[in-house]
Amino acid sequence: MIDLIVIGAGLAGLTAALTAAEAGLRVKVVGKGLNALHWSAATLDLLGYTPPRRAPVREPWTTLPHLSLTHPYQIAGELRMRAALQRFLNWSQAGGLPYLPGAVEGENFMLPSPIGAMRPVYLAPYGQREGDLSSQQPLLIVGFDRMRDFYPHLLAEHLNKQGHSTRAVVLSSSLITQRSDANTVQLAAELERREHQIALGGALKSAVRPGERIGLPAILGLDEHTKTLEALAAAAGAPVFEIPTLPPSVPGLRLTTVLRSLLARRHVRVEIGMEVVGVQVEDGVVRWVETATSSRPLRHTASAFLLATGGVLGGGFQSDHQGRFWETVFDLPLNVPQDRSQWFRPLFLDAEGQPVFHGGVAVDNQFQPLDSKGGVMYRNLWAAGGLLAGTDPLQEHSLEGIALVSGAAAGEAAAAALTGGRQTNEAAPADIPAGASAAKTPQ
Amino acid sequence: MASISWHTVDHSLDECIKCNICTSYCPVSAVTDLFPGPKYVGPQAQRFRENGQPQSPDASVDYCSGCRVCNEVCPTGVKIAEINARARAEIVAKRGMPLRNRLLGRNELLGRLGSVAPALANFALQNPFSRLLADKVMGIAPEAPLPTWSTSGTFADWLRASKPQRLRSDKKVVYFHGCATMYYEPFIGKAAVAVMEHQGYEVIVPLQNCCGLPLLSNGEFRAAADYHKNNVAHMASFAQAGFPIIGTSTSCTLTLQEEAPELLDMTDEGSMQLKMATWDIFEWLRDLAAKGELATDFRPLNLTAPYHAPCQLRAHRVGKPALEIMEMIPGLVAAESHALCCGIAGTYGYKSEKYQIAMDVGEELFQFVREQGEGVDYTVCDSETCRWQLEHGTHLPSRHPIELLATAYGLYDLEKRNLV
Repeated sequence: MIDLIVIGAGLAGLTAALTAAEAGLRVKVVGKGLNALHWSAATLDLLGYTPPRRAPVREPWTTLPHLSLTHPYQIAGELRMRAALQRFLNWSQAGGLPYLPGAVEGENFMLPSPIGAMRPVYLAPYGQREGDLSSQQPLLIVGFDRMRDFYPHLLAEHLNKQGHSTRAVVLSSSLITQRSDANTVQLAAELERREHQIALGGALKSAVRPGERIGLPAILGLDEHTKTLEALAAAAGAPVFEIPTLPPSVPGLRLTTVLRSLLARRHVRVEIGMEVVGVQVEDGVVRWVETATSSRPLRHTASAFLLATGGVLGGGFQSDHQGRFWETVFDLPLNVPQDRSQWFRPLFLDAEGQPVFHGGVAVDNQFQPLDSKGGVMYRNLWAAGGLLAGTDPLQEHSLEGIALVSGAAAGEAAAAALTGGRQTNEAAPADIPAGASAAKTPQ
Repeated sequence: MASISWHTVDHSLDECIKCNICTSYCPVSAVTDLFPGPKYVGPQAQRFRENGQPQSPDASVDYCSGCRVCNEVCPTGVKIAEINARARAEIVAKRGMPLRNRLLGRNELLGRLGSVAPALANFALQNPFSRLLADKVMGIAPEAPLPTWSTSGTFADWLRASKPQRLRSDKKVVYFHGCATMYYEPFIGKAAVAVMEHQGYEVIVPLQNCCGLPLLSNGEFRAAADYHKNNVAHMASFAQAGFPIIGTSTSCTLTLQEEAPELLDMTDEGSMQLKMATWDIFEWLRDLAAKGELATDFRPLNLTAPYHAPCQLRAHRVGKPALEIMEMIPGLVAAESHALCCGIAGTYGYKSEKYQIAMDVGEELFQFVREQGEGVDYTVCDSETCRWQLEHGTHLPSRHPIELLATAYGLYDLEKRNLV
């Protein structure tokens, strides 16, 4: 029944699943839990830094040729990278959560982090774009007195030090919620209510000075994000933008929800809470994988499999105290030092990053994992995302870019292998309503 | 209850990376301030509950409904719901528990008592005056959707009466009916037996106890352990002999598979055999379908019946097998709910102080049902307490998917809830 099983429900896995489904494959996604987008800014970071250089990358495309030949971007090549980014822009439009490229063609945005550091971002969510620090427009950062982990004055201090004229204001939380305690997701739900938008909009209008733009924590609505943002901007009479928060990340939750609803339209089931605990391989082919249940393992059979379980952060790798370091599903060869003393450099924040985070699964140009001799490991296995070798995405600020580019490339390659390169079908089936999404949809 | 072991659950605690995904999806903390969220009362508060600590920081863990959505979404495999269940058991062990919770934990006893004179029991408990009294004296919410006792005999009565007509076969399965089927909804058991016989299987119904889940969720671990030991004694031999043990109540199957062994640290051979042999009925039917052995002589059911997979079923981590089987029935439109929880969470929503929370949690699901339009005939759900909550929240009749399947086989009257 199923052509392709994608293991992992992060940005790489969801991208691969959607790409393969658009190419006509019957796809299923199994994930251990929900993904790392829930603690990311949910911007599309393509390439922000090239360690050990400290300066942010302004023009990622002209920097690409300097990356090592084993880097996933070099393996994919510019053509496939641009196609993947275009796919993502289309999805974000179709899902009602538009992302945009920077004002200058091919250049990164410079967006403020939750403590006012500069983050080089290639595609920004519509709600974050007005925060671009390439513009000299003065900023007003607004927080709420009972909101944890968002400090407008700290942000303003750091931005001012970097030459961005910034003021800070802390408003009463009672403008937007009656709860004594609320996290970002709950506040975002509160801000979808009209009366809270009116109250906050009025307070913003009083606080803002002519010419300023207003930065708020990323809590401006869930499903109704765009409407919420625009209502606030209209009431304040000034541009309004979101600054990502500490987890839970509302922008990440929104992006996950949109990708899952696009998958639902393509009849792709995303099963959460299913951890792969066993595999069956025969004659160089993966036959099935098994996931843990409350009883017997559940077997999933398919023609092809795509591994997108992430790296150390996502849970795709595991290690022990003896220095063993392994890939958790297929035990694929990893080019990580198998000596614990070689994992880290003496400095925690070494400009070169840590060797342990640079290693991973080596793949060929079809994104098929390679064995230790450089041959394809299993004929029907592809891989994408944080588990790939040749890059340290945290250092590079390329986490989402690598997930997207490799996810799309691997999904395409799997589809081409299974369909013998038959024509892809780009149109969504018309009989499926678009309203199948909900902001909270774990199952 | 001097020692509540922490080993497996405690170990998973170390995996918590404080990412807050659980709190973002917790249906209870989304609607009330009284529950700060799974991360706070679970992994975060746990350090204060370690040995040698004077006391737990607060008792808000009592507001955890035990729906296990947190476990489902956790990216690192922390057993948050179990941490909370154990924390509640510790509080109960230290401070005791109200009579109400003792009663709600004992639905088998209640079922048996009421079945002596079900009509009288229904009248005694369902009239507005008694419900008001139950609210004031016991703290049982007057509006809460309590079940009614079957007035046409228990499931055991039917088993005795139908014995001569039931199928004999070399292929055998064991049926675990649970208390609700026994005393309140014997028709679920009849539909299940009919469907299993329709596949050519003889259905054995051995002596059995309550699975113990109501006791576990109310923090009475020792009493739950006694129930579980009895079930192991009655059924492990069937498991050992290779018979699948099939349930229609998702709370019972989850308890036999995972909750009892894990929360009670019962890892004896019999418990493990029972764990591995237990199936949700649709998981078993889906397995037959995968082997090409499922009877497919379906009559069309021209019904609009939105389906909600209950939290307890999702905690099995087997997907939504009932939905997959229902998709094979011609004419049946079973829109899939993605709501997190109906709110009732076993006995949670029966409690006066939690009734409104349960209704607010369920609103997402009730809203989904309303969005399906005027033409909805039934809502469909695998769990009994969730069906009662669905009926309460939507005013539409609710059915177990096995009733729909039995109807599609021409064995059952879906409206009258009886075999034909």
